[in-house]
Amino acid sequence: MSCHAVIEKAIQKVDMTVALAGNPNVGKSTLFNGLTGLHAVTANYPGKTVDLNLGVAKYGEKKVGVIDLPGTYSLDPTSDDQWVARRAILEEKPEVVVAVVDASNLQRNLYQTLQLIELEFPVVIALNLIDLAKEMGIRTDYQKLSKLLGAPVIPLVASKGEGLGELLEYLTKKAAAVTPRRGSTFDVHLEQAIHRIEEAIKSDLPETPLGLSARALAIRLLENDAEFTKLLRQANRGTRPVELTEQVGKSIESEYHEPASLVIARQRHELAKQITEAVQVRVGQPLLLSQRLMHYAVSPYTGIPLAIGVIAAIFAFMLTVGGFLGDATSLLWAKFASPSIRLILTTTVGNGFMSQVLLWGLDAGILAALSVGIPYVLTFYLVLSLLEDTGYLNSAAYLADTIMHKIGLHGRSIIPMIMGFGCNVPAVMGTRVLTTRRERILACTLITLTPCSARIAVIMAAVGVFAGWQYAVAIFGIDLLVIAAAGWSLNRLLPGKPSDLVMEMFAFRRPRASTILNRTWFRFKSFMLLALPIVTIGSMALGAFYETGYLQTLLAPVNPVMYALLGLPGVASMCLVVGILRKELTLQLLIALAVMQYGPSASNLLFFMTPLQLFVFGLVVTLYFPCIATMSVLTRELGRKSTLAIMASTIALAILIGAIAYRALPAFGILG
Amino acid sequence: MTPGAVTNTLTHLEKHKLIARTPYRGIKLSDKGRAIALQVIRKHRLAERLLTEVLRMDWSGVHDTACELEHAMTDEMIRPLEKMLKEPTTCPHGNPIPDEAGRLHEERSEPLSHFKPKDKAVLVKVTEEKPDMLRYLASLGLMPGTIVEVEEKAPFEGPIIVNVMGANYALGRNIASIVQARRV
Repeated sequence: MSCHAVIEKAIQKVDMTVALAGNPNVGKSTLFNGLTGLHAVTANYPGKTVDLNLGVAKYGEKKVGVIDLPGTYSLDPTSDDQWVARRAILEEKPEVVVAVVDASNLQRNLYQTLQLIELEFPVVIALNLIDLAKEMGIRTDYQKLSKLLGAPVIPLVASKGEGLGELLEYLTKKAAAVTPRRGSTFDVHLEQAIHRIEEAIKSDLPETPLGLSARALAIRLLENDAEFTKLLRQANRGTRPVELTEQVGKSIESEYHEPASLVIARQRHELAKQITEAVQVRVGQPLLLSQRLMHYAVSPYTGIPLAIGVIAAIFAFMLTVGGFLGDATSLLWAKFASPSIRLILTTTVGNGFMSQVLLWGLDAGILAALSVGIPYVLTFYLVLSLLEDTGYLNSAAYLADTIMHKIGLHGRSIIPMIMGFGCNVPAVMGTRVLTTRRERILACTLITLTPCSARIAVIMAAVGVFAGWQYAVAIFGIDLLVIAAAGWSLNRLLPGKPSDLVMEMFAFRRPRASTILNRTWFRFKSFMLLALPIVTIGSMALGAFYETGYLQTLLAPVNPVMYALLGLPGVASMCLVVGILRKELTLQLLIALAVMQYGPSASNLLFFMTPLQLFVFGLVVTLYFPCIATMSVLTRELGRKSTLAIMASTIALAILIGAIAYRALPAFGILG
Repeated sequence: MTPGAVTNTLTHLEKHKLIARTPYRGIKLSDKGRAIALQVIRKHRLAERLLTEVLRMDWSGVHDTACELEHAMTDEMIRPLEKMLKEPTTCPHGNPIPDEAGRLHEERSEPLSHFKPKDKAVLVKVTEEKPDMLRYLASLGLMPGTIVEVEEKAPFEGPIIVNVMGANYALGRNIASIVQARRV
């Protein structure tokens, strides 16, 4: 369903629609959660990675549809998030745009507010974080701000729910009276230039693209907006305004000694500054603890030890809490869910082939989704939300940028990359913090090569126990080398250039439990909704092949190849195929099949495999394409084509490196 | 202006040895003419500084007023004005102000990546060809004329944190090296 359709569906039964716009980290999500509660849905524009959250706020009898736009600094469509924010407002035409503004950083926030006002939308200013502004010694004259902007101003502390009632009351009762402000933002010269283009648009175009006002369109053209310029060139009689703009732009450039787009940006900043100086006074300038903390977090001497501590704490948390949740899930499932499912299936479907296949899906499949979802995805999202909410995520990204840059990524990819060691699934979903598709493909490929906890378990149990711990360590070493080499070469192979870091560093904030839990639950839910059907159906398909014996027949010609290339026994290929369900199954199945074939003593893997074979097996399990759950999230994040490409290349890489290890190691007298 | 008036003016300027005329090739300022022109430019750019810094006028609109003022300013007031404005080397738009001898000091700027924590710098230019990036940086306030303060700098060619109008931004070293700035 297209984004438009999702939004239409979500907001069709409401009395009015508002959009929340604002800079990142101004408490927009907190306000959204406060207004709409837990019942939000997301919508996505095709090809864009940025989500829109949609919800409904109730005030008395009235229902207000709320569109939460991505946090942006500007409505200039230079990045996906800014494009989505602008597109959503222009397409959905909300009755009111609520500009969520950080009172403690008014000047920078007003830049986008002025852009919204230029678009001639009815704007209501939600002046958030007034408590923080007061703490910082900033006094704001709300009435004057409202007068200067020509828009109502509602002061808020969204995290404490203060002012939400007033905002909703205003939106439902008085919003109809909010008229779009028309007024000059720019100096006389620029206004004259804009006016000339505006007149040309009015006389030449019967209707403007997306119903933009002539003045707003004139400003966009003069700002060299590629999208609108193209739309106009395609439109009937649209070329004259475009050509006039080029001409006007040149004369502005010769007069101001810089491109018109910069002149416009400069004057917006200037107005934002003048308004801020007129409405705010600073009484004292205390350096808050939160600001000092940010400095400690990014300064190398204190920051790096802190980062190591934070990462260690995350792993400890995921190992203990995640491990406990994982054990509890398996235990409860084996004790209650599994027997009941079996009972229901045998009484309704019987004991035949159908029932076996359904068991693969409903028993093993759902358990596979839950055993990834509960211990890893849930805990990861809890940690990620905490890091985001405190602002620490950006400090970590800053510190990691130097290293990550070497493999074509910027610092923001560090957290998903590290999380890949726990579970690839949330790590892939975490790549949403990256802005370009190039970086996401790069990061996702590297994540699928990262040994997750299931693969670590296989390496430790199969290689560490039976071949020796130094060989288990060697597999990790080889894997890290492969990741570094893959990153280095993909960075050179993929078209385009690595994008550079431009990221705001926020002062730390006290995290809010409600915001974190809300966000965690929301993300967990969306993961389960995505993964559950795919994993269940995938398991059933695999089960059908297995139960009918087709899988064995299909793999029969593969087995000799496996032996020739990798020196692995026939049962190994079956294990690797079933392993796409869950990687730890490779080992469990290996032992089960071996016991079936060679008798109980085969539970000692050395009974039928040499240490070299175990080493190669561990290496291949680590590198070949990850589990079905990762596949499902990859498909959603990158599309089918890229997922298949990653799948094919990791399988090829696994076989290649396995084959090299199988031949090279004995030649050096290792494991021979 | 009629073609006749142009010829008259040029003849007049040539008589005072302010320009050199080569038939069918065009005209060139003489050294004397150049010196006078530079002093007018000096007055104009100082006037712009005066208007923006002392009278707090919007710097995008001071050009026209400065065009009037430059002719009313006497030579005697230039030095005191320069002293009061703390010896500015550029106009508010970033163009250099000639000195008494008419020398144009090329604006000394270096990449932002060369600055150290606690340094304050005014951005001079952004050497970036992609208009999208230029506009994005401008929307954050990173454009010529903006004063920034370096907050932190990561070692080994890592990113740099700058304070721009009260907000801190981490900039990767590649971006920091295309932003040219001058110490203030």
